Amino acid sequence: MGSVVPMLLEIQTAMRCDILGNGDETVVATLSDTLAPVDRLSIYRNTSRTALTSALRLNFPAVQRLVGEDFFTTAADTFITREPPQTAWLDPYGEGFPEFLQGFEPVAALIYLPDVARLERAVGRALHASDAKSLEYSQLLDIEPSDQGRVCFTPHPSVSLVSSPYPVDAIWRAVLGQNDEALAAIKLSSGAVRLLVERRAGEIEVSRLDERRWKFAEALFAGHSLSTALTVADNPDAAVWLAAHLAAGHLSGFSLSTTESLVVTEHAQ
Amino acid sequence: MRFQHHQAALDTRANVAWMEVHTENYMGGGSPIRYLEAIRRDIPISLHGVGLSLGSAEGLDQAHLDRIRQLAEHIEPDLMSEHIAWSVSGGTYLADLLPLPMTEEALAVVCRHVDQVQSTLRRKILVENPSTYMQFRHSTIPEWEFMAAVVARTGCGILCDVNNIYVSAKNHGWDPLAYLAVLPPDAIGEIHLAGHSARQLADGATLRIDDHGSRVIGEVWLLYEAALRRFGPVPTLIEWDQNVPPLDVLIDEARHADALIDVASDGVGRADAA
Repeated sequence: MGSVVPMLLEIQTAMRCDILGNGDETVVATLSDTLAPVDRLSIYRNTSRTALTSALRLNFPAVQRLVGEDFFTTAADTFITREPPQTAWLDPYGEGFPEFLQGFEPVAALIYLPDVARLERAVGRALHASDAKSLEYSQLLDIEPSDQGRVCFTPHPSVSLVSSPYPVDAIWRAVLGQNDEALAAIKLSSGAVRLLVERRAGEIEVSRLDERRWKFAEALFAGHSLSTALTVADNPDAAVWLAAHLAAGHLSGFSLSTTESLVVTEHAQ
Repeated sequence: MRFQHHQAALDTRANVAWMEVHTENYMGGGSPIRYLEAIRRDIPISLHGVGLSLGSAEGLDQAHLDRIRQLAEHIEPDLMSEHIAWSVSGGTYLADLLPLPMTEEALAVVCRHVDQVQSTLRRKILVENPSTYMQFRHSTIPEWEFMAAVVARTGCGILCDVNNIYVSAKNHGWDPLAYLAVLPPDAIGEIHLAGHSARQLADGATLRIDDHGSRVIGEVWLLYEAALRRFGPVPTLIEWDQNVPPLDVLIDEARHADALIDVASDGVGRADAA
């Protein structure tokens, strides 16, 4: 520390480093406790770790059951050091956990695990998203027919899309339902799944979409224009799919695009 | 109140005087906030925050304060409280109520933040005394005087955690009655009680750990009686966050507190369990 009497900022920085696992003797040197100062400090470190691990456990229950409690704790410990939360609202904590698992060597053999985590992140988002109002069909009636193709929708904050080469929805249901029989019957080679995750009347729903519907929803929810989404869909039923999204409350707002982005054009090809 | 008690709380609301919830558990949409709205229709709510980090040298997280303000405007709680502690540094939330050095600098930081919170929320908040496991060499202000000074400078109230006073007094060799004697009675808006555990350290010292995982011990009940004698009847909450028992065990603890309030006063105050 730079001064004889350490500033609050210095102490808090040193203690943050200690709690996140890369501390030194700085904090201990500021304590008046002569008995077991390192033990005292470790109480705070342990409490912090336990609270953050619990937050991850709540947000990724299926991942925890798949890898076991002890292993989950070890993985969470590494993740917490790399990506500690940036806010005291912990419901959304773990946005980067699926990507972390993707690169976490000890679970490399569980090829479907990162996608199970992605599904759980989408479920968490659906559970905790704000109660935004859904867009009503009547709000679209004033749009000029010539402008309809330029409409860009905003998805409801509780709605997410997840895709995986593995049947992660079946794995997730079997694991959380503790249905070992169903879990054993799942064939990883059964093909890719494309999922829509949402909160309806307070309950979480995970439903499978076919590839065209999913790609249409992906373009729509990414904020691309309706004409782009319809091009991506390349299906005469796409207008019906849009009506279904509106009726289900998947959209919460819209704007009119002024230009088509390069990304959109590429996507449409 | 914890999530597993939502339905039980709705079913038994007539028997409960008020309820306290962690502010941070109700910041999203969906079913948690629906339950809180439903309970709020019949029972006064206390919002007890754990993440505002009043003692952060780098200032408050404005986005977090905004979420608290929105929740308060929506739920209209009877009480709002936070802690004399810090938990955010360098933009990282450390998920624990960390100890402050008891210095003029820390006092100024806490008071500036209490002022900011009270002007944002346009209401008085209560600040809770912490339980601590270590002390800083350069601390110059006894914790009880620190608490009283925050009240004097900001006009806030105190959430007096009697178990925390006991735990810290045992850990640091303070006199818990002397602590109570310095807290301004008019500022005490709520009392917390809880169970705690004891842990042996490497050098032989015993540390009391405030883990909210068991019944309130006899010595803390005695200190609570002393607090009631000094402060009069004050709404009291039993905290229980680890190994959470069925609601009826919590209510049993609350009844014990009620009985002591009745002895110490004319029975105006009421106790509750969270």
